[in-house]
Amino acid sequence: MALFIEDGAPVIVQGMTGHQGMTHTARMLKAGTNIVGGTNPRKAGTVIDFPGANPDGSDARIPVFATCAEARERTGAKASVVFVPPRFAKDAVVEAIEAGIELIVVITEGIPVADSAYFVELALRKGVRVVGPNCPGLMTLGATPQSHGVNLGIIPDGIVGRGPLGLVSKSGTLTYQLMGELSDIGFTACLGAGGDPIVGTTLQEALAAFEADEHTKAVMMIGEIGGSAEQDAARWAAEHMTKPVVAYIAGFTAPEGKQMGHAGAIVSGGKGTAQDKKETLEAVGIRVGKTPKQAADIMRDVLAEHGIL
Amino acid sequence: MDLYEYQARELLEEHDIPTPKAIFAQNSHEVAEAADQLGYPCVIKAQVKIGHRGQAGGVKLAHNRDEAILLAESILPMTIHGHKVNGVLVAEAKNIIHEYYVSISVDRSSRDFDVLATANGGTEVEEIAKEHPESVKRLHIDALGDFDLEAATKMADSIGFYHADGAQAAQILLKMWQCFKDSDATLVEINPLAKIGDPDDESSKSLCALDAKISLDGNAAFRHDGWQRFADSIEADPYELKAQEHGLHYVHLHGEVGVIGNGAGLVMSSLDAVSGAGKEQRTGIKPANFLDIGGGASAAVMSDSLGIVLSDPQVRSVFVNVYGGITSCEQVARGILEALDKLGSGKPIVVRFDGNAAAEGLSILAQADNPNLHVAKTMEEAAQQAARLAADAKENH
Repeated sequence: MALFIEDGAPVIVQGMTGHQGMTHTARMLKAGTNIVGGTNPRKAGTVIDFPGANPDGSDARIPVFATCAEARERTGAKASVVFVPPRFAKDAVVEAIEAGIELIVVITEGIPVADSAYFVELALRKGVRVVGPNCPGLMTLGATPQSHGVNLGIIPDGIVGRGPLGLVSKSGTLTYQLMGELSDIGFTACLGAGGDPIVGTTLQEALAAFEADEHTKAVMMIGEIGGSAEQDAARWAAEHMTKPVVAYIAGFTAPEGKQMGHAGAIVSGGKGTAQDKKETLEAVGIRVGKTPKQAADIMRDVLAEHGIL
Repeated sequence: MDLYEYQARELLEEHDIPTPKAIFAQNSHEVAEAADQLGYPCVIKAQVKIGHRGQAGGVKLAHNRDEAILLAESILPMTIHGHKVNGVLVAEAKNIIHEYYVSISVDRSSRDFDVLATANGGTEVEEIAKEHPESVKRLHIDALGDFDLEAATKMADSIGFYHADGAQAAQILLKMWQCFKDSDATLVEINPLAKIGDPDDESSKSLCALDAKISLDGNAAFRHDGWQRFADSIEADPYELKAQEHGLHYVHLHGEVGVIGNGAGLVMSSLDAVSGAGKEQRTGIKPANFLDIGGGASAAVMSDSLGIVLSDPQVRSVFVNVYGGITSCEQVARGILEALDKLGSGKPIVVRFDGNAAAEGLSILAQADNPNLHVAKTMEEAAQQAARLAADAKENH
């Protein structure tokens, strides 16, 4: 099994009929994702046309359901991608959890942290995997040359092909940047953990998933200022990981007390600095690149040292 | 979003947590009036969103009106650890018998909420944790659960509140939790939560929140009327305000290279690359700002962004770094040219495009044939070039 989802698994999109939802549903379809429905109580019973959106160029016609429960019952959906606006996001995720969706990828930026704390804890109790919020999503690369991977969210398709690397990141564009730098090597899966203070899948949990995935041979971890997810992941990796991890950390120049775009990207009370993260990572043997390119170069060296390439 | 002490105090008061009588004042006349009303001695406290203000001389005791005026005149114009003082809080002076520390915050690692408390209050909690780690007690509040009187009482007992204070302490902890939830806070900290009163008169003793720090969740502003009551016109930077009007994430950093990119991580990375280049080139050139145009930005958004960055007179060059995912480099290129047409700026701009429509974007820039537009292949090269151009411009100025 690829990371958190099988190739070809049926997927629904919550908030599909909004602008973001429409744009990215079309993209995900083109990338070969098996999207079987959307939800919107006001448009239930309708069918949305996505002209030419299927990978073979044919039109996709996606039914809209009133609720996640109905969508799951009718389609057997295993996963959901959430584009619902912040003020409705908590209810949307709770609905998906209650409906028995197994993997929920929350793209929405701007969800109050109390709401995220609630649905993340609920998901943990029910054994449901949440990725995000405030993340670019999860992309897996097909396990065989014939199969499409699954693209859940907004990660651009076509940057990379299948290879031995796993990638986990707090940032969207830095994910694409590193995917681009290492496109010649290829990936098993790229996971956007998200830039919020509380997320459903932490860097550490992503490392654990890559460690357990037989096809992943090494992991690129991209962190940024704020919190201690990088340090937590590094300490865990030092004790439990057999596969090499290389890291990049953004935000050495960030001043104290200023939120740098992402809700979670803030140094407060001298805690969560990039320097502290770098030192903690290096202390357990995880090499950290000064720039994305240098991190990619280190990864090449590490792959060579481990005889992976 | 951090609050000033006087604003935090307001929120505590609204939740029925005892605080000393206090009045916010913004000039020496108001300070004198406030001090007269509260009586002497009283405390005059600088309002800044940064710790250690006492050590910096921002908190003083006034014994009479003249002294209050003198202190106001010395504190009001201060800048403490880089933060301009925004008024003072004039507060009743209390006789302190003991200082506790209590806080509730979001715990990012355990993905729930944390109550922290210690009987060794008064100084910053990081210092307390270093010096007396055993004295700091921690309790997690489940994200699906609640914090009740039983838990609050247990917490109060465990940190060693004096027996007589236990019941009041538990009530205060509960009210703090209510305040935390009602306000969508990420931090409610009372330090010190002081035992005050006459040491010889047991009936006069009680707990009182002498100082407080509250941070609110900016993402929850829609539930609170946009936090308009806490709008901060004094500290706000004019460029940050302008960017906010356009819905852009901007942070003013006061260096020489304006930085614009798509995605918070990539922009932070670009800032690091510029600082690194400035160090390597031994020019001390630094980034002037953080500006994230977000995902799927239009030409208009790019043009507005460049307008804001170029309006900063300290900016000598601009580094535009876009890795097009949803964002189209073509739109960004059009936005750059639109802004240059409008502003006629002569400052050099170094552009690095990759991803979605990068080739189209670069060809649009090439056709414009503008000598101030430079194109670099990688973000590292672009940062180097932008830093060099900024240093040259600074020298020739």
